Amino acid sequence: MPKDSLKTRLEIAKTKHSKKNLYKNEEAPSSIGTAFKLSTELVSAVAVGTIIGFILDNTFGTKPWLILIFFFVGVVAGIINVFRSAKNMQK
Amino acid sequence: MATNPMNQFEVYRIGPEIKLGAIDISFTNASLFMVISSLAILLVFNLGSKKNSLLPSKMQLLSELSYTFVSKMISDTAGSKAKPYFAFIFSIFMFVLFCNMFGMIPYAFTVTSHIIVTFILASFIFVGVTIIGFMKHGLGYLKLFVPSGVPAVLLPLIVVIEIISYLSRPVSLSVRLFANMMAGHTMMKVFGGFVISLGIVGGWLPLSFSVALTGLEILVAFLQAYVFAILTCIYLNDALNLHH
Repeated sequence: MPKDSLKTRLEIAKTKHSKKNLYKNEEAPSSIGTAFKLSTELVSAVAVGTIIGFILDNTFGTKPWLILIFFFVGVVAGIINVFRSAKNMQK
Repeated sequence: MATNPMNQFEVYRIGPEIKLGAIDISFTNASLFMVISSLAILLVFNLGSKKNSLLPSKMQLLSELSYTFVSKMISDTAGSKAKPYFAFIFSIFMFVLFCNMFGMIPYAFTVTSHIIVTFILASFIFVGVTIIGFMKHGLGYLKLFVPSGVPAVLLPLIVVIEIISYLSRPVSLSVRLFANMMAGHTMMKVFGGFVISLGIVGGWLPLSFSVALTGLEILVAFLQAYVFAILTCIYLNDALNLHH
């Protein structure tokens, strides 16, 4: 009798464990986390683009133009980043 | 009692001033808490792995659980090729987690609430992953910046966009951790200030908020360490298995 009960308990624990793991894999970290992830993804690409434009402007002396161009390129890169990570989340 | 919610982020010197040329390398409260969390990690894992019993003690359970957690995370996101980098990702996860958790102790200093700390961590990861990518694939790693099936006319623009998107990785990685920690700790301090200023009559509402926020912050502290580690795995995956 006690052997049986241990067996069933083991069985239950095993199924629970595997179920929990499945659940963990499918669950998104948390909605506030995903929202924050997407927003930083967008902002950081814009910031990096602008900084690159600023540096290139200072080295080539083409004051307002490259920073403008790279700002918009950064926006595009940020949107692509957001798209990619959103796609990754859906996997 | 400091009433300014930003006071808690102040870095000050402990002990004598040490200068290396023009650079100030004095021991600060930030360094103190980094040392404390590193020592705590060492202590937990030393105690946990000392006695290898079949029925684990609490310390052993803790270290085994964290080991399997990180190992599963790596194999899920970066595959079996990433196994050699386990130690690196495990150290990063544990360091960020312990720094975040030590920051939850009242009067403690949160190391990860400073952008320079998280940015240095993220840039080390970024540089390391880039080196690994070039070592594994040689110049073929540059194919990461050239997506397949793009018309030749658009190629210069796409390459620039991809490079910016690649360079934005350490920025987004560090800003995410830093902003979460700083915002959470500031908010807790602000609500704590409300409790004082509203007194015994009206202070109960912000006090209850404070309690709830503490719970939320502990969750965020864990979650951000997890996100930091899992994004490291994802970048490592991009470097190891080149398919963009």
